[in-house]
This record gives sequence, structure tokens and C-alpha cells, in this order.
Amino acid sequence: MLIAAGAAVAVASLAVAVLEGPVGVPNASSLYLVAVAIIALRFGIPGAILTAVASVVVYDFLFVNPLHTLTVSDPGEWLTLVLLLFVAVIVGQLAALQRARAESALERERESRALFDITRALAVGESTAAALPAICAALAREAAMNQVWVALGPDDASERVAARGSEETPWPPRSVAVLHRPAEGGRAAWTIVRPPAARGGGVGAAGGAVRHFRVRIEETGRPLGSIWATRSPSTPEPAEPTTRLLQVAADLIAQALAHERLTEERRRAEVARQSDALKTALLESVSHDLRTPLATIRALAGTLIDPEVPVDAADARASAAAIDAEADRLNRLVGNLLDLSRIEGGALRVADEAIDLEDAVVRLVTPLEGAVQSGLVEVDIPDETVVRADPILLEQVLVNLLDNARRHGGRDVPVRVTATASPGDRVRITVDDAGPGVPDAELPHLFDKFYRSRTRPGGSGTGIGLAVVRGFVEAMGGTALARRGELGGLAVEITLPAAVLPLPDLPPVDASR
Amino acid sequence: MTEPGPLVLLVEDEDATRTALDRHLTARGYRVDAASDVRSALARWDARRPDVIMLDLGLPDRDGTDLIRHVRREAETPILVLSARDAERTKVQALELGADDYVTKPFGTAELLARLRALLRRAAGPGADAVGRLAVGALVLDGSRHMVTVGGQPVDLTPREFEVLRVLLTHQGRLVTRGRLLRAVWGEAYQGEDHYVHVYVSQLRRKLSAADPDGSLRDLIVTEPGVGYRVRSP
Repeated sequence: MLIAAGAAVAVASLAVAVLEGPVGVPNASSLYLVAVAIIALRFGIPGAILTAVASVVVYDFLFVNPLHTLTVSDPGEWLTLVLLLFVAVIVGQLAALQRARAESALERERESRALFDITRALAVGESTAAALPAICAALAREAAMNQVWVALGPDDASERVAARGSEETPWPPRSVAVLHRPAEGGRAAWTIVRPPAARGGGVGAAGGAVRHFRVRIEETGRPLGSIWATRSPSTPEPAEPTTRLLQVAADLIAQALAHERLTEERRRAEVARQSDALKTALLESVSHDLRTPLATIRALAGTLIDPEVPVDAADARASAAAIDAEADRLNRLVGNLLDLSRIEGGALRVADEAIDLEDAVVRLVTPLEGAVQSGLVEVDIPDETVVRADPILLEQVLVNLLDNARRHGGRDVPVRVTATASPGDRVRITVDDAGPGVPDAELPHLFDKFYRSRTRPGGSGTGIGLAVVRGFVEAMGGTALARRGELGGLAVEITLPAAVLPLPDLPPVDASR
Repeated sequence: MTEPGPLVLLVEDEDATRTALDRHLTARGYRVDAASDVRSALARWDARRPDVIMLDLGLPDRDGTDLIRHVRREAETPILVLSARDAERTKVQALELGADDYVTKPFGTAELLARLRALLRRAAGPGADAVGRLAVGALVLDGSRHMVTVGGQPVDLTPREFEVLRVLLTHQGRLVTRGRLLRAVWGEAYQGEDHYVHVYVSQLRRKLSAADPDGSLRDLIVTEPGVGYRVRSP
């Protein structure tokens, strides 16, 4: 600053000498004001005053009679000098103020840009953790820090780096400036403390070469982690806007983390509540369905066990066949229950494969060969209808749909399975029955857990099959819907994503193998 | 006088199931060696080589797959796995380790016996004759001339479909996992890209059943969803 002020005064003096000498301007002292203004813009008020005083002294020395002394003989000259000093100081102050305003406008702009980046990152990120790298980058840029990183953990010892803006995080620090925020409000201030013993690692040289800053991330006094930043040791402590920016960033992150935690807690509570409700409904509704086949099995087995009851070979075989059939029914019921709990528990693993639909349906319908031939099950699926689905889940969906149609449509009632391409690269699969159907008011509830239509024939269902259908179909990215069918009964329509054909080109087989 | 039936090593820890199967197999003319854990099964295996092994995977002392590993180091004896529902992973793992087929518990005895017969038949004779001809019913695959005929009429298959059919026919009566089929036909480089195998098999099946006037080939290739394929034995 001294050199700059000296240079400015020297240049101004030269110009004054030229103007007052060869050119013949009577008083060019106001040229010094230019020097004062320039220094003020660059160095603020101290520079302006220094330059103003220097200008007056130099002008007096060089150009005021008697020359080359600091004495002033003419009272008029005195006035000139005093006025010059006065105006120079005013100009200097105005220029310095202008500069300060421009600077603070710039600071504000940086601050709001950084805040915008931070809130945007938090808003678009899938989670707070996903937004942290962008936040670090924004802070490093706008708070003029070398590195910025965020470490999360409830205390110093367990804090772990969660995101960083650049590759390195110089560690350990020689000393740390921690932002101290008075609980009762008031100005936050930087306090120098010894480094925390956290994060292990020996003393690295990298950490000592920079200054470390730390702003704690806290939710109502509970520590969640810290924003860490480094600067080169020669730069001053962050100015107030930068401090405020770091503080607000820490608060925003804390808020987002707290929000995330609350959402997660609510979700857990909801899952727990639903799972309780599920268990209750299960006990009430399903125990009957589980006991019916068990009762049959025990009755039949009891007859076979009893030495008093005469059983011929044909009777025994018939009983065994009935036991086998009831056990099979139980097995299917248990299977569906397990499926339902897997859907509810979110433990469903879904494979994504290309499946030829006709193939999948025909495979299931084949055991009912008689039914297909007598026209009871009609399959109309165009060749090369390929869906993207999990093979096991898809099979269970189709089994449940066919089972539902045959059981509730009524025995010997025609069932039709059709598939058509539907908009948005989807395939619509419809299972239609010619049974009595379901009243319109009940249609939306058919997929609800344990919902049983009062009007369907074929015995009371368990209210599980269609719930599993919807759960599985939705897990595979599809939809399920019930409506009045073309055959007069119920139609259940599911859509699944279509697989893209032609298939990806795998290389041809080497014919010589 | 009938000759002694095949020897089955039955490894199952559930007493009631083991007893029932033992009785059933004996009545059907099989000889049965029963074991309830891996340790005693290994002792039986060393003492008396069985013709076929029926293995429950969930055993009290060790994982049933250990037995598969051990047996496969020493012999090609057919292994039929008895697996629980919802255990696709273990099932596929057992098949990849060298088990030949599986039935899911609870199973019907009819199904179990059919699988057992298929495995024994497959183990009894070579799949292909000396010139690389494989035949099932009306279907003949001629490996040397690269030709497939149904009832004497040639069927037009792409090289890849031909290769899929050849691998499946070579393992007739066994279950071929998707992974194994992929490796055999497309090579190791396509490991894990098995999402489309199903569609190739479907196309092959469609061509075969279109070429077959009496419909007996329609369900020649049976799909086990999520696991693999098996060629039905005639």
C-alpha cells in the first residue's frame, strides 16, 4: 500500500509539474485528488488518508513558495493546501465507501449463489448424503477455501468423511479454528483449538501446511458432524459473510439430516404398524383356511389309523389321494402367505428377464389339458409376445389368476387368457372368466389383502391370491386392475413392461465346435 | 428272479420323510442306504458306491452342497436334490456344483420317482451314438452333419438354436441351469447375461413344435422358471 500510494503521489506530482511549468496552468493541485481516489478504491480509507496527507505535503514541498521547504508564506496558499487536504480526504472516503459497497454486493452475490447451490443440491439429491459433494464444491468455490469436506458422526471420535469437494483432505490439522456459536444468539466467532484426536492416522505433513476451519453441524444442540475447510495460512480468517455462509450451510445440512431421520422413523413406524395389522388380519382370516384342510387330513388319517375301522385297499387309496390333495392345497396357501409377507416386508428380490409369454402360460395350462381341449381355457397370445419380468413371480401371478378364475368363476366355466401390446411399451394380459362376475362396487377392493367378495361362488377365498398378484405385478413394474369382462364375468387385467426385440446381438456360435 | 435294483443313497434328516421314502423306494424295487447327515452320508459313499444320490440340502451338521462337491471330485453319480421352497439360490448353487436335478419340498412321490428314473436312465447309457447322433422320439439331431430332423423332415434352426438343442439333448433327463447353458453355447464371456436365454429357448421350442405333426414335441423342453431347462425323457 505504501509503495502504491508513493507511486501515485509521484505520478501526480510529475503531472502537476508538467502542467504548472511548461503548460502554464496556475494551480493543478486537484490532480492529486485522482491519485487519492485511485488509492482509495484499491486500499480503502487508510490508504486514502495516507495518500491525501502525502499529497498535501509533497505539493507544499515541491510547488508552494518558498519551494523545497515545508513552510508556507502566502496565506492564500495555506487555504489551497487546507482545501486540498479536506477535499482529498472526502474524495478518498467516498471512493473507499464505493469500493466497500461493491465488495459487499459481491459478497452477497457469492453468498446467495452458494446458498442457492446448496438448497438446490439438497432439493434434487436423492438423499442428504448424495447432495453433500455438490455442497462441498459450492462452499469451496464461494467461500474461497482450498478444500471443503463434510464429516458425519455424533462425536469427534466417530466422525467419518461423508463427502469431499476435492480429492485430498489434509489431515491431521496443526490447529483448528472452530466456529463458536453462542447458544443465546449473538455473534459467532472463530476460536483456535488443538486438533481433535479423531480419524486416526499419524501426523502427516500435509495437514500442517494449511489452516483448518471447522463448523459443527448440530440439530438442537445434538452434534451430527462438521463442515471442514482449509485455507492457506497466509489468508486471514474468514470475513463475516463467509462465516455466515458456512454457518447457514451447516444449518441447512443439519435440517436436511433431521428431516431425513424423521421421515425414516415415520416410515419404520408405518411399516411396524402395517405389519401388526397384517398379523392380526392374518390370524383372524386365515386360521380358518389353514384349519379346513388340516381337519380333513386328520379325519382321513384318523380313520386309517383306527384298527377298529375296516379299510379295504380302494378306500385307503382314496383317503390317501384326498390327504395328498388337501396337503397340496395347504402348501399353496402357505406359499401365498409367504409371498404376501415377502411383499409386505419389502424383501422381494425381483429378477429382470425377457420371458416369452405364450410359453409361460402354455406351460401352466398344460396340466389342464382336458380343459384346453374342451374349450374351457382358451389361450390367445400372439407369437413373440415377450415381457420383462421375474420368471418365478410371473408364474405365481399367472397361477393365482387362473386359479381365481376357475375357482370363483365356477366350475366348467370358460376362461380366456389374452395378451395384447399396449401403449408405452407394455403388454396387457387379461384373464377373463364367464362366471357371474363381481358387482362394480367391489371391483376396486378385489386386490386388497384378505378381501373376499360376498357374491363369488366357489367357496370363500382367502383374499390372498389377488393381493399377491398385485404385489408381484407392481414389484415387476406393472399394474393390475379388475373390471367387468367380455365373457360376462370378471376380467383381471395386468400390464407388464414389454421386452425390446430384436434381441441384443450375441455372436454366432462357432459351428466347428 | 429279478436282479437287484439300483442302490439309492438317501440323505434326509427328517425322520418321517426318510422312513416314508425308504419304504416307498424299497417297495418299488430300489435298494436304499439311508443317512441323516453329511458325515454319515460320506461314510456310506466311501463304503458302497450308490447308483444315485437323493440329497436334502438342509442337513444338521454341514451344508448338503459339501457332499455334492465331494462326490463330484470322485464320480459322476447322478444327484437329485430335495430342496425347500424359496431357496432358489441354494438350488441353483447345488445344480451349478454338479447336482443333476431337484424336486421342491413338499413333493409328490410320483414326481420324485419320475425324476429318479430319468436320472438313472441317463446315467445308464451314453447320450449320443458314435457319430454324434442324439434322438428323442421323432426328433433326431445329427452333430456331424449339423442337422435336425423331426420325423425325417429337416428343421431349419439357426446355429445358436442348434447349439442350445444339442446341449439340452446331451443332458437329457437332467436339469441344465441357465448359467450352464449360457456358458456352453455363448461362452464364458457372456456370464451373467442370461436374461435373454429364455427367449431363445422359446423360439427353439416353437420351431420344433411347428415341425411336429403329432404334437409330441411341444413340451419336449420343460422350463423350470428361474432355474433352467430339462429335456423330458421319452
